Amino acid sequence: MSQERIRWNGHVCSYTPTALIHAAGFTPHRVLPIGDSPDRAGQLLHDNLCPHVKRLLDRAMDDDLPALDGMVFMNCCDSMRRLSDAWRAARPDHRVALIDLPVSNEESAVSFFAGQLTRLSETLSGWSGQSFNQADVSASVYKFNEMAELLDKVSQRVRGGTLEGGSFRLQDLFNRAAIEPVDLTVKLLKTVEEEPELRVTADSGVPVYLFGNVLPDPEAFALFQSSGVHVAGDSVCTGLRAFCHIGGEDSEGVFVRLARGLLDQPRCARTFEPFRPGKIAEEVLTEARRCHAKGVIAYTLKFCDPYTSRLPAIRKVLREAGLPLLVLEGDCTMRSMGQQRTRIEAFVEMLR
Amino acid sequence: MMLQYFQMLESRIDAKIRKTPDKPNARRKFALEIAKLGIRLYSGEHRVAWCGVVAPFDMLSAMNVTSCFVEFVGAMLAATGNVGMFLEESEHAGFGADTCGYHRAVIGAALKGLMPVPDVMIATTCPCTGGLAAMENLARMFNKELFVLDVPSSDTPESVQYLANQYKDMIRFIGSRTGESLDEGKLRKAIEKSNRARELMVEVYRLAENVPSPSNGRSLANFGIVMALFLGTDAGIQIAQAYRDEFEEMIRNGQSGVPEEKVRLLWLQNRIQFKNPLIKMLEQEYQASIVIDELNDITWEAIDTADPFTGIAKRTITMPLNGEINRRLNHVRHLSKAYKIDGAINPCHWGCRQGTGARGLIQAGLKELGIPVVNLEVDCVDTRNFAEGQLRTRLEAFMEMLQTNPSGLRD
Repeated sequence: MSQERIRWNGHVCSYTPTALIHAAGFTPHRVLPIGDSPDRAGQLLHDNLCPHVKRLLDRAMDDDLPALDGMVFMNCCDSMRRLSDAWRAARPDHRVALIDLPVSNEESAVSFFAGQLTRLSETLSGWSGQSFNQADVSASVYKFNEMAELLDKVSQRVRGGTLEGGSFRLQDLFNRAAIEPVDLTVKLLKTVEEEPELRVTADSGVPVYLFGNVLPDPEAFALFQSSGVHVAGDSVCTGLRAFCHIGGEDSEGVFVRLARGLLDQPRCARTFEPFRPGKIAEEVLTEARRCHAKGVIAYTLKFCDPYTSRLPAIRKVLREAGLPLLVLEGDCTMRSMGQQRTRIEAFVEMLR
Repeated sequence: MMLQYFQMLESRIDAKIRKTPDKPNARRKFALEIAKLGIRLYSGEHRVAWCGVVAPFDMLSAMNVTSCFVEFVGAMLAATGNVGMFLEESEHAGFGADTCGYHRAVIGAALKGLMPVPDVMIATTCPCTGGLAAMENLARMFNKELFVLDVPSSDTPESVQYLANQYKDMIRFIGSRTGESLDEGKLRKAIEKSNRARELMVEVYRLAENVPSPSNGRSLANFGIVMALFLGTDAGIQIAQAYRDEFEEMIRNGQSGVPEEKVRLLWLQNRIQFKNPLIKMLEQEYQASIVIDELNDITWEAIDTADPFTGIAKRTITMPLNGEINRRLNHVRHLSKAYKIDGAINPCHWGCRQGTGARGLIQAGLKELGIPVVNLEVDCVDTRNFAEGQLRTRLEAFMEMLQTNPSGLRD
């Protein structure tokens, strides 16, 4: 029996409408900033762009990718927009789409974004040669929601300390969910969910809330664990936040539903409420308290304007609330994380 | 501090203009209006809006709101030579030194209490993420709500409509915070003035294309980006007219901006905002003239006064810095040909992801036309990182290369 060839379509941002890519007949594949491709991005982009973007371009230039039919970029920040430009230059064999992503979830923004998704669906249909309708998109949303719910359950178990492998394993599952076919991931997650619960031990680490941008390497979480950190809650671009449950009903149209779901998801710093500027600071505090964290770790990539620009306000709010904050600046390699070990251990000592 | 600075600037320039009232005095009139704008912003006597770079300043002017993009303040602080203390203030507060100097400077000024609390704040998502984040931070400091104009990257009817509708929401937002409503007649008049200034600016730029050019490295510095602040006003028309008259007169008299112009240069993106010797060196040692800045161009059609929201939305969306790099690259290529450029200077403003980030792509794109580009590692605002010797050496090598290998666009 011949197996149908998987048609991969790449993406790089947690706001990507993966269900839409799936409905078009593709397997969405998030290109993660991992691997050991040589540093070549500087030929096209300036060094002051974030390491996430540069690592992704390194992978594209090194052809360290599955056979992609195309790439979908979200116009979420300057660096990502520049990546889409550089990608076109580096990989003329890839079809590229850049989708505007509003900065807020106001009604007019939802409506505009729904239009963008409608346009993307037409583009994807052209790429795949496969026509699909709103019911197909709805079915894909259902599948991705199922995966998101399972990931949420598995996350809860890791946060509660009852799953073998802890946050190292959880990150590995997030990565697999990001790059592998959804059906395979759902099947895997169901088996994980059925694993017997571990007994919670007293020495599971100091509860910390982790937020920031891109941290896909499971080794980073192993480092946290071995340094005495128990990640009790998180909001990072390569964690649970990348797998949001799309709520609502199809009655308003599946594209509006999808648009609203994506813009309503737990936010990256680039998305905000204009009438409550800097609200992300209060949100970090709320989430940290919700998971009973004793401290907060901010993991940001160097040159990431959305996060680094909001850190002062977050620092102030946490200081006023008496919650210690450790800021780790990274470059998408374990090299930089390894250098942080001493700081993480000192932070944990202080929190104990 | 800023009010006194602008007041002194105004009286000094005014006195100079009075000495030669028969001359066009274009640059001085431009600087005078900048000083007057600064006084209005800092006097506490006017309604003030701090804005993003591509806010519709003619529309705001029609609402009696004195408006300005916050980067203007960063540039002014750099021009005063005192920007260091403001940059340090923001860095001490935790704002990263790797972020844009314009934004760090203005945040430092706000932290020091030197930014007037505005009546409203209008952010724009274009041209950069950093600017939007700076506006959000300022709004939090001032305890003000922020109105964000979300500028789409694609030039489609849906995008234009989306932005046009946001302008209508913005007017309601301003009205509810200031009590000012938008009089349709005033808006129409403002748009007529914008269109008139536009016509004159098209003429100015056409004249600047002349070989040799009446423009030089200083006459049109920061012109295009700052003129946006004067759209919709008589001042905008008067400034453009003065430049038109001055350039016409120079061409008539066979005068060029740089005597015996030998090399014609394109300056990419922003100027270095603090005093530096580089332009003078280019002119005096190499007879090299910066005949065109990338930001000095009219890329929009005259606006239909019967439908100003659509016209302003199109003006904003189609600006070359918005969206994919090809739009910008096509524009830069067009300028290179129109101005018969020999080479381009790219001051890679540290902290600018959207502009500097694409330098490799811009360089490659211009290379296809045979235009060499020299990339300078600078922060256009931060005097502390200005490596004059290194920059001078790079420019000298670049000029020597251009002298032996002219681009051929003049043929």
